[in-house]
Amino acid sequence: MSKTLIQTNNLKKYFQTPIGMLHAVDDVNISINKGETLGVVGESGCGKSTLGRTILRLIEATSGEVLYNGENILKYDKNRLFEIRKRMQIIFQDPYASLNPRMTVSEIITDPIRVNKTLSDKKSISDKVSELMEIVGLAERFVNTYPHELDGGRRQRIGIARALALGPEFIVCDEPVSALDVSIQAQILNLLMDLQEKEGFTYMFITHDLSVVKHISDQIAVMYLGQCVEIAKADELFMNPLHPYTQALLDAIPVPNLSLLGKEKKLIEGEVTSPINPIQGCRFYARCPLSKKECLGSLIPLKEVAPSHYVSCVLCI
Amino acid sequence: MYDKLLEINNLHVNYKTADDVVYAVNGLNLSVRKGETLGLVGETGSGKTTVALSILKLLPEKIGFISNGRIWFESVDITKTSEKEMRRVRGEQISMIFQDPMTSLNPTIRVGEQIAENLLLHKKDMTKKQISDRVDEILRLVGLTKEKKNDFPHQLSGGMKQRVVIALALACEPKLLLADEPTTALDVTIQAQVLSMMHKLKEKLDTSMILITHDLGVVANNCDRVAIMYAGQIIEEGNIRDIFTAKHHHPYTLGLFGSIPDMSKKTRRLAPIDGMMPDPTNLPDGCHFWPRCTDRMDVCKMCEPNPCYKDTHMIKCHLYKDLYNERGKDYIVGKDE
Repeated sequence: MSKTLIQTNNLKKYFQTPIGMLHAVDDVNISINKGETLGVVGESGCGKSTLGRTILRLIEATSGEVLYNGENILKYDKNRLFEIRKRMQIIFQDPYASLNPRMTVSEIITDPIRVNKTLSDKKSISDKVSELMEIVGLAERFVNTYPHELDGGRRQRIGIARALALGPEFIVCDEPVSALDVSIQAQILNLLMDLQEKEGFTYMFITHDLSVVKHISDQIAVMYLGQCVEIAKADELFMNPLHPYTQALLDAIPVPNLSLLGKEKKLIEGEVTSPINPIQGCRFYARCPLSKKECLGSLIPLKEVAPSHYVSCVLCI
Repeated sequence: MYDKLLEINNLHVNYKTADDVVYAVNGLNLSVRKGETLGLVGETGSGKTTVALSILKLLPEKIGFISNGRIWFESVDITKTSEKEMRRVRGEQISMIFQDPMTSLNPTIRVGEQIAENLLLHKKDMTKKQISDRVDEILRLVGLTKEKKNDFPHQLSGGMKQRVVIALALACEPKLLLADEPTTALDVTIQAQVLSMMHKLKEKLDTSMILITHDLGVVANNCDRVAIMYAGQIIEEGNIRDIFTAKHHHPYTLGLFGSIPDMSKKTRRLAPIDGMMPDPTNLPDGCHFWPRCTDRMDVCKMCEPNPCYKDTHMIKCHLYKDLYNERGKDYIVGKDE
């Protein structure tokens, strides 16, 4: 069996706001096997980015555990965290905002190497830069250009090269393609998948685009207002979505295929409610077409309804 | 005959900057019939928004110029219309929904007043009471309660703001609506709500619409006809069946479809188009797509292809010119205007 690389146990992240506690991530239990991809989907404000950042300890968790190879990294002190960070990297959403405009491409890529002192002599650093640029498909001539001279797709390749500089095992991809055009998006997705096959990376792929997530993931977790409402294998989730929110989300995707046009769609009413002081019970209650009184009151746990298919909904218990 | 509401002939638009001339639109022909929705598809930088701005004559002053071509709206040539007359056209005859609902509303004015402003300018004979009733009615049409008219934009969510923007655009019941990526900034469930509402309203008010988008899924669900743009030209055009079910396509269209993950099929790799959009200050000679095209021939580098027609389907590509090969036999070469 494949080995679990990342696991979270009852991970919580609350933010204090003037009008109450904002439950950004609330009791999330996920696990990612080595060499596999977990897709995390949800609408804006559902806490998917906060989850990714809490796992990397870019944001400190309120409570819970993050296990990396079985060790709780939330308990690590500064020095051990510094060491483990070499194994965990992140690719950010916006290739326009996540690169320092005053640094050249080679400075950006070597920044993690400089900070972590993994290489010292100039020759091996410049060799490493050429190697990384070749891996991500950036031409050698861009080595001394500044980010503003490059387009979105090339910038995102710099972001990927930077994430690879320390030879990580686990990479959080926080909407890496949503700022790009479709044809460029496909190039970057292919690159990420090639890298995974070659280097055996483990990805947590955060996105709001369901067609992308199906394409790249082994497992998918659907989030709604800080909670994981459904986790399943990618094919299983699309074939047999059980949570009403997952069903609505799948129905809402505009499919570029005329033969599916006649199909009646279940559109959900209303908008995402506030994650500040959320209601007790199912958070999807207010928008759910199938809601009933059992949905309220107590927390609905994730239940395994089929092998490795977990749902948190009273209808499935 | 079909009634043409808008007809664009051989439109060329340039942006002049200090160093370069940006060739944004290069000989574009397009028409919109009464009551239909035309999907205008293309990537960033293909000139979609420039086309919309040209129709409204909102190109940035002293930078953007229509260097050639005609835009006929009903029987009026917009390129020759004075600014004073254009003010009567904008908002009343043609209105536009901008991409970003967060920045297209005035943050210091209540949304009801912003909608009323449009009516005040164009419907001079309406009384205050009639205007206020009309604002309530149009808010109800876009699915908002009339109490919302006293809110400021920051009090509304993204989806609600976009509904207000749509209400604003539809307040005077325009004949043509230009929707520039109206749902790109919204979440999928909200996008589905807004699109289905726009579709119903369009039917009800009998408005024609140009829906500018890069999402082929949105096009399949909402449009009657589709035009695909690349480097300032329409490279393929047809009704929705031609684009989504016909056998033959422009190589760029095939690349666009290859780039979207197909949810019904299991493929491990996508088939994107190599390279990127050409620099609009320095477009390649001949067909603008040839440097990225997998089927390029020598002729593509030299001369620009003429449009080839099969009934309603138009493809602008040299591959369809040859009567004797498999692709070309169904298509008739048209004359370039």
